[in-house]
Amino acid sequence: MNAGPATPAADSPVTASRRRILARTRLDFWLDALLLVAYTLAYSLGFTGIATHEWLGIGLGVVLLVHLTLHWDWVIRTTRKLLRRGGRERFVWLVNLLLLLSMTLCIASGILISEVALPELGITPAAGSFWRQMHDTTATLTLILVPIHAALDWRWVVGVARRFAAWRPGRSR
Amino acid sequence: MKFLRHLAAVVLVVAVIVGLGVLWAHTSGGAGPRPAPSPEALLRLEQIKEQIKTGVIRVRSDNGFHLADTGNLIRTCEIEAVLAVAVITVSVVRRRRHRTRRTTARA
Repeated sequence: MNAGPATPAADSPVTASRRRILARTRLDFWLDALLLVAYTLAYSLGFTGIATHEWLGIGLGVVLLVHLTLHWDWVIRTTRKLLRRGGRERFVWLVNLLLLLSMTLCIASGILISEVALPELGITPAAGSFWRQMHDTTATLTLILVPIHAALDWRWVVGVARRFAAWRPGRSR
Repeated sequence: MKFLRHLAAVVLVVAVIVGLGVLWAHTSGGAGPRPAPSPEALLRLEQIKEQIKTGVIRVRSDNGFHLADTGNLIRTCEIEAVLAVAVITVSVVRRRRHRTRRTTARA
């Protein structure tokens, strides 16, 4: 009979720490996958329709806050060492900064020009053409930056996906 | 506690970006409400409303996925895939070149 995984109380500090890291990796992987799928759907306005597009955009904003919070350590660390780091690290930082700016402005302008979601909540936004133009421009910029942002970490994605593929229930990895 | 501290920092950064956006809108004069529509536009709107009522124009309810427009979703996926493949290719080529250079230097 399979004894199953050991209880947390019996874990050595190394195993417990490893478990925490793996749990965090799993959370990062699935949250990133969710963000990519949600963004792809939200960008495809013709497929989703305006109501789903707006609610997805608002949800995306909330999940993005969590994504940024989980990676805040990286932001601080890389920003501090920016001058000492090599070209690739600087490029990744720049892509991420541009993505933060464009995604934030895209979601904010989307909320300001909302036609369904906000009126449903009893709020009538009165934004002008500036925000409409801003939404279009930042959405296009975001469509370029999102796949670049995701692909820059392709080795991590492949590594984690491989580990998940090899995972068997009841086996601690 | 650490998560909340980081969340507060992120919210602050996002607020600053949105604030700068609002400032930009104000300085470019585009932050105000939309201008009132012209009498011609109002007349055309009334005509469209009438056409919807009489069934000349059919309106599709807009509260779900339009499975007929999957082409739109596929196009988005294609753009994302092309860009991702380009970045991965550049990354692989750079890594290979770097490795070759290191091996040559060692030899």
